[in-house]
Amino acid sequence: MTTLTQTPSTPATTSLSEERHYAGFWTAAWRRFRRNKLALFGMVYVTLILLVAIFAPYITKYKVEQIFPQDALQGPSAAHFFGSDYLGRDIFTRMVYGARPMLIVGFFTQIFGIIIGTTLGIMAGYLGGVVDWVVTRLVDLFSALPWYLIVLYLVMVLSPSLQNIIIALSITSWVGSCRLVRGLSMSIREQEYIEAAQALGIPGWRVVLFHVLPQATPLLIWAFAAGIPGAVFAEASLSFLGMGIRPPNPSWGQMLAEGGSYFSYWPHMLFFPSAFIILSVLAFQGLADGLRQAVAVNVNV
Amino acid sequence: MISYIIRRLLGIAVTIIFLSLGTFALSRTVPGGPWMKNAEIPMSDKEVAAFKEKYGLDKPFFVQYGIWFWNAIRLDFGRPFTAPELTVTQLIFKQLPYSITIGGLAACLAIFIGVILGMIGAARSNSTLDNVIVSYSVVVGTIPSFVLGFLLAYFLAAKLHWLPAGGWGGPRNWVLPVIAYGIPYTGGVALWTRQCLLEAMTSDYVRTAYAKGVKERMVMAKHVLRNALIPMITSFLPMFPGMMTGSIFIERVFGLPGLGQYFVQSSSNRDYPLVLGITMFWAILIALTYLLTDILYGVIDPRVRLTEKRS
Repeated sequence: MTTLTQTPSTPATTSLSEERHYAGFWTAAWRRFRRNKLALFGMVYVTLILLVAIFAPYITKYKVEQIFPQDALQGPSAAHFFGSDYLGRDIFTRMVYGARPMLIVGFFTQIFGIIIGTTLGIMAGYLGGVVDWVVTRLVDLFSALPWYLIVLYLVMVLSPSLQNIIIALSITSWVGSCRLVRGLSMSIREQEYIEAAQALGIPGWRVVLFHVLPQATPLLIWAFAAGIPGAVFAEASLSFLGMGIRPPNPSWGQMLAEGGSYFSYWPHMLFFPSAFIILSVLAFQGLADGLRQAVAVNVNV
Repeated sequence: MISYIIRRLLGIAVTIIFLSLGTFALSRTVPGGPWMKNAEIPMSDKEVAAFKEKYGLDKPFFVQYGIWFWNAIRLDFGRPFTAPELTVTQLIFKQLPYSITIGGLAACLAIFIGVILGMIGAARSNSTLDNVIVSYSVVVGTIPSFVLGFLLAYFLAAKLHWLPAGGWGGPRNWVLPVIAYGIPYTGGVALWTRQCLLEAMTSDYVRTAYAKGVKERMVMAKHVLRNALIPMITSFLPMFPGMMTGSIFIERVFGLPGLGQYFVQSSSNRDYPLVLGITMFWAILIALTYLLTDILYGVIDPRVRLTEKRS
């Protein structure tokens, strides 16, 4: 009886295990991602922060620049969850709105950085020769200096504002993805299927777009995620120095700098920005690490 | 070896020239300038013209660059717009000790703690202790130094009054900035040390050494440490100039008069001679450190010398 019932089910289980064995790239990636606790925390946190930033006006009942002079420099209370700052502005509200520049800078910097880096990297790796030489020198030039010197200089020249931070950080953030993509396309160039494509007379841009670029996708996903914590960090640092988001628009780094001048008597102005800057960098870092583990296996193959 | 060093120095010179040309061009082509910053007392057109003439800003671009370059190779970067009583070079060397002290000590602290943690982690790999060290390293690496600086200043200085919260005096003033700046870097150092050691410990030559009966202490000293040291030195040495330049943020927290503060101030004042001077100074310092690292690499690893000669 048992043998009878088991016999027909055998092909089913093998097909199931086969299916598991040949699980699609994304299914396998998700399975690897799930195992990393920090990555899961990062994903949940980032989703929450995204929602908070998008629905900011529905989350807090005050406006960013709204001032309550009678409530100035008060600790956390029911009216002001995170307390109020030296002008009597609600810190919770400013934290909620301050998540916006952080996410915008993190996202757009990486998008632009990856577009520049991938274009230059593919050109250098696939074409080689003079193009490769020029791109390599550029990469050398940008990695010879610490990012904040270049970024501070650019922000100075362009004057501090949200889009200028994005421009300045994009100009420095392409180096990493350029290096990765250059190496990858150099190895892909030597593959048979590229030779075959070239022999078929497919134009160079088509080869790059449909045969080289898809190979780089997992790598780029990881490079995108891996660059975000750095960009979040950079935005906070620049705003902290007063070279970033300009008041009255709030930013966590700027709030931290303000809190810094009041911390000995009113520490709440310092703690909330501190805690959320650390949590955010950690969460984005965890997310990136998880993605690397999820995606890297196929990169090496 | 000498021809290699000369070749590298030429490469550095080319990079620095391009960098200077780029930064110089940006500073001159963008509209606005130091005279625009002072919005409360705007300069008249005549004053602006006089200012431009005084600093040679009215000349054509390449003439300006030529003059700047000719002076710069003799270490004369002109005088800052905002503090004309000193030359840029004098100012850099006057403020440099602050950045070197804080950055250098913080790098030492980070490397010291990080290497110890990394060695413990590698020796007891995959134990609970190792997991704790790895988790610590990941978390601590994400804390911005200025955030940690404020938190330390609040707890240790404002609450407990153990140490001064800022200013510049004796070594007591250095403690908090150095800790706040060094600790976030311990994570990266520990992870890298651990990885280098583990890689060396699982390599074939270590297994061979054990197989032919070499004592564990000898294996560790002769094979593991010596091989792991190569990647460690190449990544730890550049930390010194890197952390000396990066002290901008920690200097702001503790109100230290280092070079970074001057860079930020001169940036917001559009004080081009000072910014260009500081940028060039750091760039040369960093490039020379990389060169030193590569030379040391050759000294520690004989294989590098061989391949270098052959190519």
